[in-house]
Amino acid sequence: MPRNAEELVQLLDVEQLDLDLFRGQQMPSILPRVFGGQAAAQALVAASRTVDPAYAVHSLHSYFLQPGDTGAPTVFDVDNLRDGRSFATRRVVARQHGRPIYAMTANFQREEEGYEHAEPMPDVIAPEDAIDARAASRVLDPDLDSAMDGEWDVVDFRYVGSSADGLLPPEDPPQARQRFWLRVSSKLPDDPFWHVAAFTYISDMTLMGAALAPHGVRMGGPETLIASLDHSIWFHRPFRADEWWLYDQVSPSASGGRGLVLAKVYTQDGTLVATVAQEALLRRRTPPEGTP
Amino acid sequence: MTSSAAQELVGLLDLETIDKDLFRGAHPNSARARVYGGQVAAQAMIAGSRTVEPEYALHSLHSYFLLPGDYQVPIIYDVERIRDGRSFATRRVVARQHGRPIYYQTLNFQRPEEGFSHQDAMPTVGTPEEGFNLVDLMRARGNDEADALGKEWAALDVRYLGNSRTGLPKDPDHPAQARMWIRIDGELGDDPLEHLALFTYASDVSLLGVSLVAHDANPATTQMASLDHTIWFHRPFRADEWWLYDQWSPSASGGRGLSLGRVFQQDGTLVATVAQEGLIRPRRDRSAGPGLSA
Repeated sequence: MPRNAEELVQLLDVEQLDLDLFRGQQMPSILPRVFGGQAAAQALVAASRTVDPAYAVHSLHSYFLQPGDTGAPTVFDVDNLRDGRSFATRRVVARQHGRPIYAMTANFQREEEGYEHAEPMPDVIAPEDAIDARAASRVLDPDLDSAMDGEWDVVDFRYVGSSADGLLPPEDPPQARQRFWLRVSSKLPDDPFWHVAAFTYISDMTLMGAALAPHGVRMGGPETLIASLDHSIWFHRPFRADEWWLYDQVSPSASGGRGLVLAKVYTQDGTLVATVAQEALLRRRTPPEGTP
Repeated sequence: MTSSAAQELVGLLDLETIDKDLFRGAHPNSARARVYGGQVAAQAMIAGSRTVEPEYALHSLHSYFLLPGDYQVPIIYDVERIRDGRSFATRRVVARQHGRPIYYQTLNFQRPEEGFSHQDAMPTVGTPEEGFNLVDLMRARGNDEADALGKEWAALDVRYLGNSRTGLPKDPDHPAQARMWIRIDGELGDDPLEHLALFTYASDVSLLGVSLVAHDANPATTQMASLDHTIWFHRPFRADEWWLYDQWSPSASGGRGLSLGRVFQQDGTLVATVAQEGLIRPRRDRSAGPGLSA
C-alpha cells in the first residue's frame, strides 16, 4: 500500500492502454484482497481521463462485485454514456481475470453557480486533541503492530469518538455515529483532481465503525466479516485531501446482514465538501472451535 | 377495492417481455412534456427484478438520469447480468428511446439472511389526516404543471406535513427539511416486489424540492431535474399503507442540490433510505419541469 502522497499518486495514475481502456497497478500489500478505495479511485481517474477537463466530477455511484486479486493488475474499461452541454456521464467496469470486480458510474458537470446552503459542522475537538488512531490500535492489538506496519501510512487518522464510547455528546434520539479526522499524510500536488482521487481512496476507510457502534463489536475484530457492497460520493465543493477533514458518519439502519452508513465531510473551517454513502455486508463470524 | 388509478399504475409497471432480458414499458396518458422520473425508475427495477431468481430480494438501486424521456414512444429496458453469486446478484438496466440511453440503473439483490439490527428512531410528527394534499399545495404556489401532475399521480395519496419554512419546527442542524405521508391510494396484492416498485415510483415525487426549502426559490420558477436516484431497502413494507417520507437537504452548490430521505412505517419501523441529487437552476426554459433532463 502507498506510504505517502507521492506513492499514492503513482498508484492512482492509471496507464492508458487504448481509447477508453486503462490499467491500474498494485502495490505490495498484506491485505488478502484489493482495497476498495483503490479500485474506486483508480476507476475515477480512468473515467476522468476520458472527459473534457472543463467538466469536473460531482458524483459517483458504484458496486463492489468480486474480491480483487492483489497479485494482478486491474483493467478499467470506460463507456461513454453521455456528453451533454452541462453534464457528462461515464461508466467504468474494473476487470481482473476477465471478470468484473467493480462497476462505477460517474457524473461530471461544467462549472456553474447557483443556490448555496450547507448543514453546519458539528462541534468537535480539534485533530490535535483527538486520539492518534494508528498509535492507539497498536497499543490495543499488538498483533497489528508487525502485520499492519506501514500498510496505512498514507493516511493520518485521528479518532474523535463514537456513540458507543461516550466521547461524543449524547443525542436525543440517539443515532449510531462515529467521527474521525483524516488527511493524506504528506503533500499532494496542487491539481484539485488529485485531491478528489485521494479523497475517494481514503473514503472507503473507517465507515462501517458507525454501523457496528451499537453492537459492541469493532472493525477489524475477528468476530465480524465486513465487505463493502456499494460506494457513493457527492462532491459539493473543492478541498485539499492533505489537510484535515472531518468524517462525520451516521448509520441510519442495519438489517439482513447489511449496514448503511451516511457521512458528511467537513474541512476544518466548517465547509461541507462532500457526502458519502456506503452499504456493507456485516456478518457475525462463528468463532472457531475452542476459542473462549 | 383497488382504485382505478392504482390499477392503471400497477398495469404501467407490468412490462412486456420482448426477448430474454429485454423489456418494453408503456406510458400513461400524460399531458406532460417529459416522462416522470419515478416511472422510469420503477419500470427499470421491474425489468431488472424479472431476471433474478425469486429467492434473491432487492436491497439497493443506484441510477442516473441521462436524457429527458419522450412520452410519444415506449421505453426499452435492456438488462445486463453483472453477477450471480451465492449471496448476491447484480443487474444493470439501460432504458433506451430512439436508440439512445435515457436512464441507467444498477440493482443489487441478496438472499435473505439475519444479522445486526438497528435503526434511527422515527421523528415525532402529525398524523396523515393532519397533512395537506401535495398537488393542491403545488397549485396554490403557482406550479403550472400541478394539474397535469395531479392527473398523472392520481394513484398517490400525499399528505404534506410541512418544511423548515412552514409547518416544521426549526432545526439548526438541518436547515432544509420537509416531511409528508404517502401511500398508494388503493389496495395492492401481496407480492413484495409490487410494493417496492410502487414505492420507487412515488419516491421521486418530492425529494428535489427539499433542496429549495433553504432558499427563497419557488419550485414553479426553478428548472428542476433529477440527476441521480438511489434507494436502500432495509425492511419489507406495504406501499398501500401510510409511510412517512422524512427528507432533508445537507447541501446545495454549483447548480445542484442533494436530498436524503428516510422512510418510516406508521409503527416507527425504518424501511428505506433514499438519496437524490438534482439540478436546481433559476428557470430560463419554461417547459422544464421535474423529472428527466439533460
